[in-house]
Amino acid sequence: MSLTHPPPAPPSNPTSSSDSEDDYMKMTFPDDACPSSTHSHPHKQPETSLQRRQRERREAEIRARVKSKAELAAEETAAREAAQSRSLLLPSNKLPKSKGLAMMAKMGFTGGALGSKDTSNSSTATLRMVEPIRVAIKDGREGIGLESERKRKLREAAEALGAQTKRAKADEEGVERLVYAAQRVAEMMDEERKDGLTVAGDKKQTTSSRPLKSIPVVWRGLIRAREETERDRRMRHDLEQSHSSRLGLLPTYTDAEEDLDDKLAQGKSAAPWTTYVTADDLDEEDTELDAFNALPAAEKMQKLVEYLRGEYRYCFWCKTAYPDPEMDGCPGIEEEDHD
Amino acid sequence: MTDYNSESSDPSKGVKRTNMGEDGTKDSKRIKTANGDEQYNPYLAHTYEDSSSQQNGFKSPLDQLERHNTTALQMTKAEDGERNPWTGEPHSQQYFKILQSRRDLPVHKQRQEFLDTYHSTQILVFVGETGSGKTTQIPQYVLFDELPFQTGKLIACTQPRRVAAMSVAQRVANELDVKLGEEVGYSIRFENKTGPKTMLKYMTDGQLLREAMHDHDMTRYSCIILDEAHERTLATDILMALLKQIAARRKDLKIIVMSATLDAQKFQSYFYNAPLLAVPGRTHPVEIFYTPEPERDYVEASVRTVLQIHATEPEGDILLFLTGEEEIEDACRRISLEVDDMIRESDAGPMRVYPLYGTLPPAQQQRIFDKAPEPLRKGGRPGRKCIVSTNIAETSLTIDGIVYVVDPGFSKQKIYNPRSRVESLLVSPISKASAQQRAGRAGRTRPGKCFRLYTEKAFKKELIEQTYPEILRSNLANTVLELKKLGVEDLVHFDLMDPPAPETMMRALEELNYLACLDDDGELTKLGSLASEFPLDPAVAVMLISSPEFYCSNEMLSITSLLSVPSIWIRPNNARKRADEMKAQFAHPDGDHLTLLNAYHAFKGAEQQGTDMKQWCHEHFLSFRHLSSADNVRAQLKRIMETHDIELISTPFQDKNYYINIRRALLAGFFMQVAMRESSNSKVYKTVKDDQLVMIHPSTVVTSPYDWVVYNEFVLTTKQYVRTVTNIRPEWLLEIAPVYYDVDTFEKGEIKSALSRVTEKVRRRQAIKGSGR
Repeated sequence: MSLTHPPPAPPSNPTSSSDSEDDYMKMTFPDDACPSSTHSHPHKQPETSLQRRQRERREAEIRARVKSKAELAAEETAAREAAQSRSLLLPSNKLPKSKGLAMMAKMGFTGGALGSKDTSNSSTATLRMVEPIRVAIKDGREGIGLESERKRKLREAAEALGAQTKRAKADEEGVERLVYAAQRVAEMMDEERKDGLTVAGDKKQTTSSRPLKSIPVVWRGLIRAREETERDRRMRHDLEQSHSSRLGLLPTYTDAEEDLDDKLAQGKSAAPWTTYVTADDLDEEDTELDAFNALPAAEKMQKLVEYLRGEYRYCFWCKTAYPDPEMDGCPGIEEEDHD
Repeated sequence: MTDYNSESSDPSKGVKRTNMGEDGTKDSKRIKTANGDEQYNPYLAHTYEDSSSQQNGFKSPLDQLERHNTTALQMTKAEDGERNPWTGEPHSQQYFKILQSRRDLPVHKQRQEFLDTYHSTQILVFVGETGSGKTTQIPQYVLFDELPFQTGKLIACTQPRRVAAMSVAQRVANELDVKLGEEVGYSIRFENKTGPKTMLKYMTDGQLLREAMHDHDMTRYSCIILDEAHERTLATDILMALLKQIAARRKDLKIIVMSATLDAQKFQSYFYNAPLLAVPGRTHPVEIFYTPEPERDYVEASVRTVLQIHATEPEGDILLFLTGEEEIEDACRRISLEVDDMIRESDAGPMRVYPLYGTLPPAQQQRIFDKAPEPLRKGGRPGRKCIVSTNIAETSLTIDGIVYVVDPGFSKQKIYNPRSRVESLLVSPISKASAQQRAGRAGRTRPGKCFRLYTEKAFKKELIEQTYPEILRSNLANTVLELKKLGVEDLVHFDLMDPPAPETMMRALEELNYLACLDDDGELTKLGSLASEFPLDPAVAVMLISSPEFYCSNEMLSITSLLSVPSIWIRPNNARKRADEMKAQFAHPDGDHLTLLNAYHAFKGAEQQGTDMKQWCHEHFLSFRHLSSADNVRAQLKRIMETHDIELISTPFQDKNYYINIRRALLAGFFMQVAMRESSNSKVYKTVKDDQLVMIHPSTVVTSPYDWVVYNEFVLTTKQYVRTVTNIRPEWLLEIAPVYYDVDTFEKGEIKSALSRVTEKVRRRQAIKGSGR
């Protein structure tokens, strides 16, 4: 029926149409329209045209980048969630004043839920909505409970791991630190005692030169670890210093006229370059120490505390050495006793 | 309506009722002599009484009844009579057959109890499960007690769905042995099948609400029955609140609230502790099974479960609930294929699979009532049918023979959030109440089984108790406009059963203010009042009313009608390419609205040339049904426009502004549904003011990426889309909706800066024009 075009159109049509099909999206006027104006920040150097063009190109590139599906989906969700979480009623959200709200205020709305003032006969089952229902999108064809089941499993697994391992791990680490501290105390005590024994007479004997096995197992590990690090450091150092490696990149040839000094100078000599002393038995296997190291940290700690008390009448928890073997004044052997 | 006129020559139409002689047996002879008398008007029946002795005719047992003081016995007698107590015509054979089955319905046993309660109260809550017969029987019980010919007032029974209103009206007309559209009629949006004789009117709840806009006290009715109140549609909720008010003013108005579910106490307490009457449904126990683990893919799990039932369970039909057309068709296809294999490989029985959803043509919907297929050979495994349905089979529809229900736990639900203004249909988990309802469908014929495709724990923990009523999930712009027109001043304290969130109300008022339907004080404007006359969303109504200003009201009328019906485009899975090619023939580069219009024009053009339209539509992959109903809607809307002196004009087709005018006219209503492209080579758009990121729905004909589009609807699937879009120019926005597009009210962002640039451009252009003069 609208095929038969009824009355002829009036002479003037309200459209402004025709004259402009140019691209307003790419319009940039305020800046060049009034270059002298204070549009740019006063404290900043005005942007040169070159800079601006670069900036614009940069911005355009960012805008023009085609986003991946996942990015788009994430942005979609983010925008939806952002809008859904923003109450239209809270003035803090700085939304333009709503005329709808003004009308409601006129009807006596002061916040809270809508509905009859008389709540005496309305059932308690009445939903008095204050917040709108949220829109939640379902993923694909997953059945009911799958999402939460997955979350629950994940959470449980994390908890199982977390509760036992994670916390235990943290505990273990804390105790290991204490073990290290106690070993240091033991070493210090030992050295102090030796110092006391040797009086200023003989040359100070360093731990490094004495057999590891002479050190009580409770703090032997500390020394061994230190020795090993030291050995490794030196070996690396030697390697770097060794002539063969230094000259390795250069062509080598045998020169009949080379004498020993030459060879020594060029590092070709087999003569020992540096020597260092490690504990004689560093490379030996130490089953006693391995057994100790395999103990749980708490047990190691207990053994150390006992050792310190026995050998030096020192309480690790009081941080005090006691004069009498009964250690009168120390509340007990456990850390808890010292709380 | 036309049928009704064509058959009104029926000889017994002129029969009168009379209070005369006690010897009813002689009446049959006199009736014939009464033929040809002047038209009998039931509303004037009481005035006839004095003169009745002079009139020959049938003595209706109804005439002796005292209104609001009848008994079940009196009524059964009246129903058992040889002649129809309402028309005086002899009852048909079919009538007695139906009557017998009616007497077997559970409600029948409580007819007297119902009447006693009905007489004792103004408001009554009636609970009866689907299948109890409440929808068909209760209105008839009321009819026999209200005796409309005595008061001249009608009985209304509301239904949430158009189809239900139509089919129930037809059924009740059959039961009363009358013609549909006469004593019993129906009224739905864009279709009114009632006549001057109508006493009982089935109607959609929305239709009753629209009627109330012009009859605030609903004075035409003596009793209003709100059926399927448990569904809590928007219109039913509003009607309940209104009726609560009206009941206080009109003590003669009776109200019955009918619900199929158990939360009737909520209705009871809402209606001042109205008495409650419950009728047990005919139900058998249903055994419920849960899955041990949540399902990865509920459609696949559904198909698997159906096949398993077919392979291992005894005889009985299957009902599977899925969410939408596409999913349902997909599942039907997969089930049918698998069953074929099963028959070949393991001698399974035959199974017929039927889809069921709202947009399915009625004839196909009807097929779900077909009998299950016979065994393939004598003594072979029994056949069964499997119905794959949306939640329309959950409450309103009764399908006998269902023994197994498969429930994945989802349905498509409308959702609206006033903060983002996102309104869409979204697949969501159902409620516990819904799940129970679904399970109940298995126990209609005999003990059944319900397979829930989720764990028992998920049922308890993940499903909400009750589905949120529609009023909490909808944009209320239309409702608020209707309420204003209904004279409700204080919307904030309006006594709704479940009042919506304040922000939803706020948005509705705000939108109506932008549409100039409400002024700043919240009073209905002239435009608002006019807009409420249209059974359309306010934005669409405003667009239609403003269209003469754009010289294209004929075209906008067509577009509006096309947008008011389901999609006219058909795209069968096996001929997508062909369908797309056909659609491309109608495509207008500037957008989908214009493409719709082109298709409609082609349709009307072909029709005028006397083409076989069904064939033509089939060839062009267009829905004849939906185009025809658009045509019907157009006629209705045109009538409303003519009534209100809205000019019907067009721009000449040759004018270069023909399409431009239409595009501009769209904005007069849809200026709040505009999106701007994010950047020059992006496919992503941002909705104006709400900043939602959307893409244009793949169904579009728009190929060039326009910077600004107006859209008809927001579609939420796993992505956010806008559907049915048309290219517009931003200058038009500033010109057509200057208040909404006041740049100062925009939040900082790309859209604000784009609009400022446009404002500046327009200003400069005007300055140049001005100085040039």
